[in-house]
Amino acid sequence: MKVAVMSCIHGNYEALNAVLSDIDDQSADKIYCLGDLVGYGPHPNAVVEMIRALDIPTCQGCWDEDIVEGLNSCECSYPSVLAEKRGKLAHEWTNQVIHPEVREFLAQLPLSLRDDNLCFVHGSPHNQHEYLLPEVDAFVAMERILATGADILFCGHTHVPYVRSLDAGQLQIRVQSTGKSEEMSFSAPLKRIVNAGSVGEPRHGRPNATYVIYDTDADQITLREVEYDYQKTCDAIIKNGLPPIFAWRLARGLEFAERADDPTHVCER
Amino acid sequence: MQPLNITLVAGPPGAGKTTWIRQQVHTAAEPVIYLSLGAGETTLDPTYLAAEVPELTVLPAVQLTNFLERPPVGCVVYLELGFYIDLTSLVLPNQMADCRRVAVLPPGTRHTEWHDWADLVVTGAETAIPLQQAHFWRSVLTGQVLDSASLNTFWYELTYGAYGNVQRTKGIFDIADGRAFYFDFTKGLSRSNPVELNLPRCLNGRPDRLSGIEIVGEALDQETIAQTLKDCCLEEQAIVHYQQQIKDLIEQGEEVG
Repeated sequence: MKVAVMSCIHGNYEALNAVLSDIDDQSADKIYCLGDLVGYGPHPNAVVEMIRALDIPTCQGCWDEDIVEGLNSCECSYPSVLAEKRGKLAHEWTNQVIHPEVREFLAQLPLSLRDDNLCFVHGSPHNQHEYLLPEVDAFVAMERILATGADILFCGHTHVPYVRSLDAGQLQIRVQSTGKSEEMSFSAPLKRIVNAGSVGEPRHGRPNATYVIYDTDADQITLREVEYDYQKTCDAIIKNGLPPIFAWRLARGLEFAERADDPTHVCER
Repeated sequence: MQPLNITLVAGPPGAGKTTWIRQQVHTAAEPVIYLSLGAGETTLDPTYLAAEVPELTVLPAVQLTNFLERPPVGCVVYLELGFYIDLTSLVLPNQMADCRRVAVLPPGTRHTEWHDWADLVVTGAETAIPLQQAHFWRSVLTGQVLDSASLNTFWYELTYGAYGNVQRTKGIFDIADGRAFYFDFTKGLSRSNPVELNLPRCLNGRPDRLSGIEIVGEALDQETIAQTLKDCCLEEQAIVHYQQQIKDLIEQGEEVG
């Protein structure tokens, strides 16, 4: 069985269409979406309608949550004051144009999805705002997967696709209680983190959309990169009154905002 | 009276006028005085040179007349002319009639007004776009403190063409930890890291030293550049907060970056 996993569409309808077409070409049996359907891009309603129409199981992303709950995170969530100002502009624009039924749909999205030994989240099982970067400490990475009970954890949020194998890690812990110290060691089986990249807002230096396909029979993960007419999205960004710099960054695969110095930090507000 | 040893330096933006003058300072046996003409009191080169070349005496352009009336004995003077100054209509004071004229030009430049004007043509750095289309824009940011992550994003976008075709830009920016940095970009040349200026940390409110940006290019989106710069600036409360953090670290004997 082939499972297609996509994430971070961010209101980019052109990119979504191209990815769905590619998924069709790859004859995938199932599609999962890891959230961030809206935000920054010019077509949030059309993207959500498409996901709903195709009945694609989707978990809630951080942008989806912010549109439902209101922007509540403080400046610590932003890598810079410029990113904060741009993020707020994008949020306000999206908040104004979003249809009530779209907001309702985003509100009922689950934080995670399970399919046998596969788990799907937006950022991490800990929080949809947390970045699981490829270089994150192995112990933290292993803890995040073990917390789900799955063998493969699919996530997005970083906008850069990757596959990370945590191969039969040896874990050693020391438990201390009332003067007694006990050491325990156990080995964890092979676990994997798969980041699906971003459909609508790539950060890998090219404008192409990315997603992944997991072949359960062959146990094979394929990162897909799909060309699309990004200029149409750029034109729509400008036509709809979003900041032109978003179009400039999209055309260069730069994402709309730079990443924080400490991407594992999650706002506690 | 002994004639003044004055060198006028002209050339297109990015060709390396300031760099060439800096080289001359290092080889000069006499004290060197520097003035920049044509850009009022907000040009960045004198600020940059004053911070980076301590042996150089930098004079404000408004002091030129006084300086010529009572010139110090035994010194060498370099006057840098902004590229936008029309050399043919430049009227020099009598004391400068015999000055040396140096044009710093990109390699391969031929038959320009600089050639007609100069006594000596120095080959400088390659510059990229036709000069007749060049447009000059500058903004004074004195008193503003910029968020460094935002500044890096802005500088990346600016120099990769997000706000127009930038041929040459330089800037002096005060950042939150009290330091000032010199940013420099010339299209076609390898990118250099910002240089921390040899200036005292400003940790008591808004700095009063000169900072700002100068841009030469084509089709510059001035409004967006100005707005983005504004969006990079920290508010009063944040400036106080960051400055206090740095002061605390210094007081604790911590090394501050």
